[in-house]
Amino acid sequence: MKTAFKLDAHPRRPRPLLSEPPAGYFDKLPTQIMARLPQAEASATPGWRWLSFLTPALRTGIASVAVLGGFAASFYMSGSAPLVPRSAPTAALDAVPRTELVGYLLTSGARVENSDLAVLTAAHPGIAKGFLHVSEDEVNDALDAQPSEDATYL
Amino acid sequence: MEDHEILTKFQDPASRNLAFNQLVRKYQSKVYWHVRKMVVDHDDADDLTQDVFVKVWKHLENFRQDSQLFTWIYRIATNECLNFLSSKRRKFLLPLNDVGAELAAKIEADPAIAGDAIELKLQQAILRLPDKQRLVFNLRYYDEMPYEQMAEVTGTSVGALKASYHHAVKKVEEYVTRHTEE
Repeated sequence: MKTAFKLDAHPRRPRPLLSEPPAGYFDKLPTQIMARLPQAEASATPGWRWLSFLTPALRTGIASVAVLGGFAASFYMSGSAPLVPRSAPTAALDAVPRTELVGYLLTSGARVENSDLAVLTAAHPGIAKGFLHVSEDEVNDALDAQPSEDATYL
Repeated sequence: MEDHEILTKFQDPASRNLAFNQLVRKYQSKVYWHVRKMVVDHDDADDLTQDVFVKVWKHLENFRQDSQLFTWIYRIATNECLNFLSSKRRKFLLPLNDVGAELAAKIEADPAIAGDAIELKLQQAILRLPDKQRLVFNLRYYDEMPYEQMAEVTGTSVGALKASYHHAVKKVEEYVTRHTEE
């Protein structure tokens, strides 16, 4: 019959028989721990330390307001400041060499109708001055020669 | 350096690092062995010990001194160990006994215990206890911690701790008796 094991009868050790940590482990451990402390981060941003005193609910509320405010501000900024200046179409066209423009119109398959020219000049009255080197009489003669349905745009 | 002196110096930003360094040097060995008894492996114990002290640093400013500093540190270390073991179980989808068996295998491989058959069986029996019961066993049997202090560390009543320790001792004795040859 087996003898029952009694814990009280067994020699008590201060800890289990486990291998010791590597030599010098406890000398190096404080340095390793100090290197992991987030103190540099905390001291670099002292302006935000007050956040830690707020309740989690209040911090969540402030964060939500900040995010929504950011969206509103970006929306407002994008609405008030046009992405492209008003003079951009003509300015951009002026910058393109004429040969390239002609080449584009010839090769891209784009067709410029009389109606296109009519709408463009109606929207920007001075747009033709840079490239349409004709007198007013010549223009009027050309317009008189147009079919009536195209002339209605003018 | 006494605990109250460490705490006073910690409140002063100019001496905070020095005070915390003293705190680490004072308690590192106890924390390490408390953790090591729970996780067995040195590397795991090393990681957890560092994590414990980083947490102590983060929360020491709010330590209200309702309990002793060491009891408070022990509580943090205990929670870290229990979370570690439970996350290990979840991560590898292991049942309770498998983690105990894994820890027992590590004990068997440890050269420090080689040749001591009874001690090996004792350790295997302890490692097969549920985590919280093993924690109670370690605090009482190895650290000889008073039940009142254990209650502060574990957040459990003294009565429940006494019952838990009593059951743990019975289980350990039965296991060693059953697995020891004549």
